[in-house]
Amino acid sequence: MSPARRSLLFALIALALLAALPFVIGNYWLRVLTSVFMVGVVAQGLNVIVGFAGYHAFGNSAFFGVGAYIVAVALNAGIPLPLAIVAAGAGSALVAGVFGWPLLRLRGHYFAIASVALNMAFIEVILNLGGITGGAQGLPLPISPMAPDLLYRIIYFIMLGALVAATAVVWMLSQSRLGYALRALKDSESGAEVMGVDTVRAKIAAWAISAAMTGTVGGIWAYWITFIEVSSAFDIGISMRAYIMMLLGGIGTVFGPIAGAFLFQIVATLIWAEFTHIHNLLLGVFLVAVVLLVPHGVLPLLSRAGRRAAAARLFGASSRLSNRLFAREER
Amino acid sequence: MFLQTIVNGLLMGGVYGLATVGFSVVWGVMGIINLAHGAYVMIGAYVAYVLNQWLGLDPFLAMAAAMPVLFVIGYVLQVTLLNPVMRTSLLLTLVVTFGLDLILVDTFVQIFSSDVRGVQTAYSGRSLALGPVLVPYVRLAAAVLSIVVATAAFLFLNRTRTGQAILATALDREAARLMGIVPERIYGLTGGLSAAVTGAAGCLASTLFPISPTLGLTFLGAVFVITVLGGIGSVPGVILAGFAYALVQAFASTYLGANYQEIVAFSMFLVVLIVRPQGLFGKRFYGEASA
Repeated sequence: MSPARRSLLFALIALALLAALPFVIGNYWLRVLTSVFMVGVVAQGLNVIVGFAGYHAFGNSAFFGVGAYIVAVALNAGIPLPLAIVAAGAGSALVAGVFGWPLLRLRGHYFAIASVALNMAFIEVILNLGGITGGAQGLPLPISPMAPDLLYRIIYFIMLGALVAATAVVWMLSQSRLGYALRALKDSESGAEVMGVDTVRAKIAAWAISAAMTGTVGGIWAYWITFIEVSSAFDIGISMRAYIMMLLGGIGTVFGPIAGAFLFQIVATLIWAEFTHIHNLLLGVFLVAVVLLVPHGVLPLLSRAGRRAAAARLFGASSRLSNRLFAREER
Repeated sequence: MFLQTIVNGLLMGGVYGLATVGFSVVWGVMGIINLAHGAYVMIGAYVAYVLNQWLGLDPFLAMAAAMPVLFVIGYVLQVTLLNPVMRTSLLLTLVVTFGLDLILVDTFVQIFSSDVRGVQTAYSGRSLALGPVLVPYVRLAAAVLSIVVATAAFLFLNRTRTGQAILATALDREAARLMGIVPERIYGLTGGLSAAVTGAAGCLASTLFPISPTLGLTFLGAVFVITVLGGIGSVPGVILAGFAYALVQAFASTYLGANYQEIVAFSMFLVVLIVRPQGLFGKRFYGEASA
């Protein structure tokens, strides 16, 4: 079996397991896993713009919030949920397209800061809009008449579906012309341009895809928690955590961000359950520790410990690719 | 009204500018976007608050204590945590400084709780009347002192050997090494100095803003805008940009309403980023290009 086949098989087995789990586990772990899928999609979204295109969109949480607010406003207007979620994805992609056109001309630090500023600007705009967005009071969503046990299991499957879809998109991207164009412009933008890549279009497309993923789960999240406000919907911590997951799992790989999401969220849940009052402090320590101790992600760590073969079997070419990508970043 | 708006803007501009100097210099010299920078402002404000509560010390005099405290914090964090990652990638420095910010803010929440506090002075609430325009003494003192500290920082960078070494490292790290400068030590010093100046700004801010562990967050947005406006690593540019920023905010708040001042500021920021990314007064530095 080729490595790609093997990792596909592994993914299918994992998927079957995850699909069976909600019938066995309790509500607590159901919620934990649902949030793993959610942040996994955010990490995949970040993977597209950071891992492929090399643009550090630190403020990607802006799209999470935009998606959440689109779904909240749409549901309050009586639009059915599936349509609202599609609108969240499409609306976020549109926002990324409109703002990406000027912002993606910035490079390095400037783009990172501009994306954070975009997130902050959305907070201010929504606080001032008031009206249908609820402004500073926050916005309650209509509560589903379904029994909570059933509802939360449905949301579990919607989130899982979103994660599978996002991963499929990343996989397709890695095989597509656009994917090659993005990796080329990550290495050298002018080089890619000389080779005939329309870099402006490629970058905007990448950010729009990234935003669509992030906005979609933002919308599902709003439906899930039934009350949103700017501080939770546009929490920059969302993209920060996604960054760490991507870093943990391996940047620019297909399965890395998911592995990182599971690892991070489950460790975090276990630890934070004990220390709720110093939650942020521990998150900070964890961030600093990951960067200083395992800056290459855990997959290469496995291989360095002499388990390269095992890691490669699990994740195919992804770990080798991540090694190579990081070797380049550290130049 | 018009004159009062101008005065309000000018009085706030100095503090915003001073709070940005360190951020801008760190970015220019080392290529680090320090997301924990706002926390330095917050710590400076708490130093002023604690000394005011315990000893009744004037918050402006507390600068003398806050600057050494923040220098040590900035130096230690730079040498232990930031030096190892700053040469790798933008991604890692952003993540580390974000983590540091979480740690610092949460530590202060643990010690002081999230309650909002303030410092009072004998002259709080008193104003100098210049015709129709009111100039509150506290704001006047804060504005004057911020210019004094910024001038000192500028003179240090441009007139002392150590300052010249910092600028030399910013312009060309390898050539500086050949001249006998140890970049790692210069980076520690830059981190410490930047934190010290920011701590001084925090003391000034303690008299103008409510003090809470999230005080830094309100500053971080302004700091981004002013850095980009003023140009990376330029002290005079940053101070001028601080005044420009505060004036725009004052006008937006007087004529559009207080809610709009942030939106106007961010719009200004995005426009400047796109039209003139090197800032209004900027020149290129080494640290910038290393991204």
